Amino acid sequence: MPSWIQQSASRGILTSRYPKDAAADEEVSPTGRPPLPVAGVASLPAARDSCPVGAISDTAVDQGKCIRCARCVAAGLTFTGPVEAATRSRDDLLRISSGPVPSPAAPPPLARLGRSLHLFLVDVGSCNACNLEVLALANPYYDVQRLGLFFTNSPRHADVLLVVGVPTPEMAEPLRRAYEALPGPKAVVAVGACPISGGAFAGAPGLVPGLAEIVPVDVFVPGCPPSPTAILDAILKLNGRDRAARGGP
Amino acid sequence: MRRPSWRVEPSPAVGGEATARALAYVPDDGRFALYNDYAAGVSVLTLTAPSPDEGGPAALWRADTDRTRPHALAPATEVDGYGIFTFPYGPISMGVPEAGRFDVRTYGERVLNLVPVGGFKSRRIRETVVGRPVADAALLVERMAGNFSASHVAAFLEAAESASATEVPTAERWVRGLAQELQRIYNHVHVIARVAEAASQNVGLAQTHALAEEVLRVQGAFFGHRWLFGALLPGGPARRLDAADRHRLAERLGHLAEEFERLWLLFLESRTFIDRIQGTCPVSRAEAVGGGAVGPTLRASGVAWDDRLRIPVAPYNDLFVPLPHETGGDALARLIIRAEEVRASFLILEQMLDRWATASTGAEPAGSPVAPGRGIGRVEAPSGDLVYDVRVTAGKVDALQLRTPSRANWTVFAAGMRDAVFTDFHFAFESFGFVFAETDG
Repeated sequence: MPSWIQQSASRGILTSRYPKDAAADEEVSPTGRPPLPVAGVASLPAARDSCPVGAISDTAVDQGKCIRCARCVAAGLTFTGPVEAATRSRDDLLRISSGPVPSPAAPPPLARLGRSLHLFLVDVGSCNACNLEVLALANPYYDVQRLGLFFTNSPRHADVLLVVGVPTPEMAEPLRRAYEALPGPKAVVAVGACPISGGAFAGAPGLVPGLAEIVPVDVFVPGCPPSPTAILDAILKLNGRDRAARGGP
Repeated sequence: MRRPSWRVEPSPAVGGEATARALAYVPDDGRFALYNDYAAGVSVLTLTAPSPDEGGPAALWRADTDRTRPHALAPATEVDGYGIFTFPYGPISMGVPEAGRFDVRTYGERVLNLVPVGGFKSRRIRETVVGRPVADAALLVERMAGNFSASHVAAFLEAAESASATEVPTAERWVRGLAQELQRIYNHVHVIARVAEAASQNVGLAQTHALAEEVLRVQGAFFGHRWLFGALLPGGPARRLDAADRHRLAERLGHLAEEFERLWLLFLESRTFIDRIQGTCPVSRAEAVGGGAVGPTLRASGVAWDDRLRIPVAPYNDLFVPLPHETGGDALARLIIRAEEVRASFLILEQMLDRWATASTGAEPAGSPVAPGRGIGRVEAPSGDLVYDVRVTAGKVDALQLRTPSRANWTVFAAGMRDAVFTDFHFAFESFGFVFAETDG
């Protein structure tokens, strides 16, 4: 009779070697990467009208608005941007389309906490996909515990708020109180297009068009939803243990 | 040839047959009403709803509800006595990783009454889609619930296409069916993982969680998006489904099916796991029918009803669709149904990929419909019967109303939780597969 132990052993080690090695292709679906213009920034004006959320301007692709619907592919963009697309400033999300984002001079906000961070997920109005991508970090393929990252059950025990969804007026106050409950030093990660810019819901009546209006945001992860690898990179940017800081290519 | 066993009528029939049917649902604005009579095997959707005095259950008739404000999703019963208080759980908690609240009446351990409260995460999708072209509206509709996106888009497009009498190529329906079955497998496996987590079956959780991730990767590889966003829309990520792709997909699905089989047998042998969910949150047949339950919840309570069998459209009219049903009505029965449906979906996918060549492949996806009209789309989402009612004029959405499986199942969940203890909560909650996002819309 087979047992859990045999079953487990028969599957071998599933866990990715990210961030030591680059993320393998099967971990990141095509739309898990930011879209870039194939023919350079000069081709953007022609592609502008293909975007349903207005992420494409004449000079840049605003990754914070992009919902990865792939309509711009016919207009000359491809999903070939870096998996590690998280940035520490909102403006840098516009620069991804024109080359590597310069590393910020300021030290990582939670470097003082060393290797281990405790994470708390807050949903302020998501479609549930980002929630599930964040929870996927705990599955054996990503297994973030190996990197000293743990999910907690209370904001009082957490160092990092992972915020998903476009903030609804009903969730603004609970979010503020969850943020205040975190002991310092603390950080907030805006996970996905919704908390960054409203994403697909930008312009809907009554919604808050950006998380930064409610709480300070330390890292922005573009994507709809971002792949677990992209979220992991964003968390590691908080304590300076991401692949770029380790000198990865 | 199966006959359609659900139909649309212009207005509620008075007397006679109507009295035999249970009024199952009326949306906020009363644009339609859904009657089910499972004994006679019919489900009738009327395009004008009855007024409250014509016999709609008060709890389901909420014309004055503002969905964007917190509101009760199930009727409360008054319980009062020494030391009884209301314990609010949510809207922020890791136990329920979505924004929603539960008001629990208790004196400390026993749940005397539980009221799910929604409205915290309404993204105003029903309002925002108005005036947008069908293809643009679909971008919002697929985000109604990220993990049910294929079902939402399929039902929405079905409604919009029937509203404008657009002919849909059979191949397009097959792609929609394929996406829906993949997503059904993901969701059922995810529910089993969540229940395993609540039961501290850590090895089982890790293995099941890994399997769910593998399904997401298959979706990403073959539809271009891990959650199938955009995959069913014109101009979405490429659908690489030529002969070689289908062969690779069939091979990967074969491995996943074997893997699932091994895991599920191990779960069934785990007494601690089975003991924890057996008898938890029971829903009797009468409660399920009276409360308007749908999907695996309904089938676990002894009613064999599945939209895939009752609505004879491609691809399901052409395939063998197993219809598992149980009579236990508890969390265990719901989990068994889900496991059986994972097997069923693998079987359906196998049949689809086998016979793909005979389904007219290569047809272009339908463009945006243009003629004005009103249409109904109805599909079996992973958590149950999903109904879209869409009005379209000149290719743009005029009005949208829907009844989601999560919305339908709150009543029986709340009823089943009465007299349970706190620790039953997660086993009960997870076994229904609720998504607050689609409830709030």
